[in-house]
Amino acid sequence: MRDRNVYVAGAAGAAVAVLALFVFAFVFPVDWVVALVDQLDTSLLSAALRLSVPIAFAALGGIFAEKSGVINIGLEGLLIASAFTSIAVAWALQGSVAPTTAAWAGFGAAVLASTLLAALFAVVTIRYEADQIIAGLAVWLVALGFAPFASQIIWDSVNSPAVPTLNNWVAPGLVDIPVLGPAVFDSNPTVYLMLLAVPVSWYVLNRTAFGRWVRASGENPKALDTAGVNVRRVRYASVLLSGVFSGIGGAGLALGQVGQFIGSGQTMVAGRGWIGITAYLMGNYNPIGAFASSFLFAGLNALQFRVQQISELNIAPSLVQMVPFVAVIVVLALVGKTRIPDAAGDHYESGDD
Amino acid sequence: MTDDQSDAGGKDGADDQSAAGSEAAADAATTEVDDGDIPSWSESAASKIVTASAKERVFISVAAFLASVLVGSVLVYLSGLVVDCTSAGFLGSCYNPFLVYYFLFVDPFIGGFNVALVMKETVLLLFTGLSVAVAFRAGLFNIGSQGQLVLGGLATALALIFVAPLAPGGVLGTLVLVPFALLVGAVFGGLYAAIPGALKAYAEANEVITTIMLNFVATNLAFFLISTYYQDPESGSVQTVAIPEAARLKPIVPFFEGAQFSVLALLLGVGLVAGTFYVLANTAFGYDVRTSGLQAAAADYAGVDPKRLVVSSMTLSGALAGVGGAVYVMMVMARYRTGVPALGFDGITVSILAGNNPLGVIPAALLFGVMKAGSLSIDFSLGVPKQLVGVLRGLVILFVAMPEFFRLLARYTPYGPDADRAVATDGGDDDA
Repeated sequence: MRDRNVYVAGAAGAAVAVLALFVFAFVFPVDWVVALVDQLDTSLLSAALRLSVPIAFAALGGIFAEKSGVINIGLEGLLIASAFTSIAVAWALQGSVAPTTAAWAGFGAAVLASTLLAALFAVVTIRYEADQIIAGLAVWLVALGFAPFASQIIWDSVNSPAVPTLNNWVAPGLVDIPVLGPAVFDSNPTVYLMLLAVPVSWYVLNRTAFGRWVRASGENPKALDTAGVNVRRVRYASVLLSGVFSGIGGAGLALGQVGQFIGSGQTMVAGRGWIGITAYLMGNYNPIGAFASSFLFAGLNALQFRVQQISELNIAPSLVQMVPFVAVIVVLALVGKTRIPDAAGDHYESGDD
Repeated sequence: MTDDQSDAGGKDGADDQSAAGSEAAADAATTEVDDGDIPSWSESAASKIVTASAKERVFISVAAFLASVLVGSVLVYLSGLVVDCTSAGFLGSCYNPFLVYYFLFVDPFIGGFNVALVMKETVLLLFTGLSVAVAFRAGLFNIGSQGQLVLGGLATALALIFVAPLAPGGVLGTLVLVPFALLVGAVFGGLYAAIPGALKAYAEANEVITTIMLNFVATNLAFFLISTYYQDPESGSVQTVAIPEAARLKPIVPFFEGAQFSVLALLLGVGLVAGTFYVLANTAFGYDVRTSGLQAAAADYAGVDPKRLVVSSMTLSGALAGVGGAVYVMMVMARYRTGVPALGFDGITVSILAGNNPLGVIPAALLFGVMKAGSLSIDFSLGVPKQLVGVLRGLVILFVAMPEFFRLLARYTPYGPDADRAVATDGGDDDA
């Protein structure tokens, strides 16, 4: 409950801050405040939704895995693997098929690659009882090492050339709704997928038998076992699901936003998987809360890009780029004590195999 | 429980307890921690690896390394099928994995320049490997050695540039400036690591995520500070001006002439390894650190303030990384330049390969130093991307993470850790 209160307080605080900014800008028309308020428009909302995609999908995946008792700290690695695969496949196909087909093939391959990597993680942690945190770090570092290596092999550079991307879908009629219309209904397909996946995940987790199994597997695996459900199978399914979700997220980042793979430094994923983990902790393992948190972080990031362009502010870009990362740290400090599932992190031995 | 506690206090090499005992200790720690004072996401994780017996740890590290090399060979071979080349000489592949590993592991030892390169990488990895290992022993994951090294290095460079006009030259200057620089690096690295430590202790913020976020913050902060205030006007890249000549760590031995390697830095690194080992094994603080890593509840019971211990062990860990940053600045760049290599991440692999034992850091850092030097050879001589080392870095951790895999494997060979333990063949180390 405490977490939800913190969460509600945070949202209310953000709303009040934005409102105060508007009032302030109206009463005292200081140049840079006016310029900042000017940034809060429909296209910022749209950008925030687009930037939410990788974070929110990673968070959804993380919820399923951790609820089932497997802490998947390798989400960042899954995002890197899928972002790279989507670009590599779209690039390989671009000459021979239509651009849209190439992009969608890349999308499918990305989900497959991420799911396979998640399957490896599942086998390592569930079958071979690896330590979940270390195995998760390994998944991240393997992807972080492999993607630039493979880029170098394919493109002779850690960055790829531009590839065909997923084009926006415009929902006829709905797009004419003021404010919300252009922000939501002229969006990338992955944004629609996200807006669909969030409520569906909530429903599956809270209203279906599978969701009950997932929660029981993380809270009291013994009880689930006694009830005749195979705990391992539930955990495998949940971890694979985190791979599918992260795959969509990584492809959404690569094909829905950037249009190329960037493998230098922390790669183009740049911590979004870690931010996704923070998002679901902040949302207290609730898919809707996790989405809201992702949207908050993505909104900060979108605003950060804008702020860099406000000449009245004149802040160094490298300073503004820190804001989302600092926000993550502040949020973690505020919601640090989340109640993780009882059996999360523990290996479960059914005793009958 | 009492047995496990006394084991935890035993000398490092001597705690050759059975796998069954150590696993039980790890599990006990997990359950205890759940309702203890410092709930953690990572407690069980660290303790499992920390408590493996010494012999088992060596076996797992060696096996994990060989497995990584094997997987790496397959990857290299497959990459050779994709890449374009004039003659695909090895079974249709452009890359011959055997040749790749020759250049990766043997070539670095041929010639003074190559050996100096190996030593340079090894020295740098000693500091970050040690940094990660110390945190690990306390049950903490310090993924932020990179950021601590960056800020420690930056602070060192700026401090040296600041005091340069006041400092004497020559040998006297070196005697004054080098310890001063190391101190600055340690203080700033330590303070920067104290942040996630305090956040973990007092706000229960998971240190894996906070340290990774702080890596991004450190990189941006360094870029901001240099580009805004301390930019070298002569240079196109974002860097400070050069540090004073007297503060540069140069190769003293003629054999290494011209290399970015200093015997002094090597001695410092080895000295820190020995010092850390001594502190962990023989002091009250070290005892508290190890007990907390093994079994937080027991440490708490014994009167250790868990919150202060988290902060102090993270600070020590960060200070070691900061010293690494100082050495990087004085030995390699002679200034601070943005785009510091991923020494902190390599440090994670070094520490894990070393079984998080300070003494193990020396061979692990050397092994990794050889590979990093060799990666330049494979790129230069064979055209295999040097990023291969990044892949191996991850694979090693993946394999070390699954000791159960090797335990299963070992059952089918006469050499495994279970070979002399007839009763353990049924995998009696499970918690069922």
